[in-house]
Formats: sequence, structure tokens, C-alpha cells
Amino acid sequence: MMIESSRFGRVEIDPETVVEFPDGLIGLGGSRYALLARDPDSAFLWLHSIEDPSLALPVTNPHRLFSDFKVELADDDGDRLGLDDVTAVSVYVTVCAGSALEDFTANLKAPILIWSGRGHQVINQAQGCELRARVFSDAGREPEPAC
Amino acid sequence: MLRITRRVGERIILGDNVIIEVTEIKGQSVRIGIEAPRSLPIYREEIWLDVKRENEAAARSEGGKLPDVSARLKGAGR
Repeated sequence: MMIESSRFGRVEIDPETVVEFPDGLIGLGGSRYALLARDPDSAFLWLHSIEDPSLALPVTNPHRLFSDFKVELADDDGDRLGLDDVTAVSVYVTVCAGSALEDFTANLKAPILIWSGRGHQVINQAQGCELRARVFSDAGREPEPAC
Repeated sequence: MLRITRRVGERIILGDNVIIEVTEIKGQSVRIGIEAPRSLPIYREEIWLDVKRENEAAARSEGGKLPDVSARLKGAGR
């Protein structure tokens, strides 16, 4: 399948990378996204909407960047998602890619869980998980408020 | 916005399958019970707004190649 991405132009989508989001992303909606690897060496992927050519968010594997990262779900979320008997869950967090590397932040508060071709953005109840966790340690100042 | 007065123990029903009950009032705090279909996500507004803003901010990220930054990742130090 091909999409006309406003960022990347014509992009071939591997059906294997398509993820259905029954509830969309929080506040953004959308029900079908693909995980695009624009650069196989990069730590970042793009979660690209199949329906809206201009909608795409950088995501990354939080375990690679934040060694103490963990996800804890509220009981009702765990029940709702039926995760108990699922083992192979991929976890991603959205990344706000600022103009400088020092401004890159990751949202550890609302990770995206993906399994069996379905995705859910959940609220992480684990202590201390930040909404805007700085991705790079060698930055002394606060992230730019815009992004 | 529709405004309805309820006492402790009284309920409001939305559609056929969402029930909201005032379970306790203490000072400025009201404790609310919600019965809703399992598939319906429920959020505290301020958290929902925070995440919505972050999603929107992430979606404004430029499409240029994201840096290969393995060497600068925090992972090693955390």
C-alpha cells in the first residue's frame, strides 16, 4: 500500500507494520497507523497515520533510552485491554523532536502498547514517569515550551 | 453544559450503559463512581489534556531524518 505523506512524499507501507488503534491516540484520534522506519540505524520510528497524510509522530523504544522505565496500568485499564494473557507487547513512547537535540523529550506518562496488530495509548501509573522526559542527558536547560 | 443537582448515592445515566454516581462529598472533593462498558476509556481531564498536548507537540515534529544519536543516548548513564 502507498501513502502520500506530507513529510516524506510517496511511501510504501508494509501491511505488517500497520497497527489498528480502536480508541485512537489520546486527543488526536485516528484509527490506523503504520510504524515507519525511515532510517534503520535511528533510535526513532514514525507512527504515521494511514488516514491523514499530515499526521505522524516520532516514537522510540523507551527501554533503550530510559533503563529504569516501566509501565504500570490501572486495574481497569488492565481489564479493559485484556493484557493478562498476552506476552509479546511492544512498547513505544512518543517523542517531541525539537530543533536541537537538547530539546528532544519523550512522553513516558502515556506509552503506546502494541500487540497482535492493535495499539493502545495508556496512562502509565508508575511513579515518577515524566510527561516530558529529556532524551539526551547533556542538556542543562528546560525543554522549549513549544516542543 | 447541562447541570444537574444530585445527592450522595444518587446517579446519572448517560445513554443506556454509562452510570455515574456521587458516592461521597468531603469539603471541596466529590467522589464519583462510574460504571461504563469495559471498552470505554476513562480519563481524569487534566491528564487527558496533558497527553493530548504532548501528542500534538510530537505531531509537529519536522519530517527530516531524525538523528542517529546512539552515541549520545542517555541509556548508558541511567
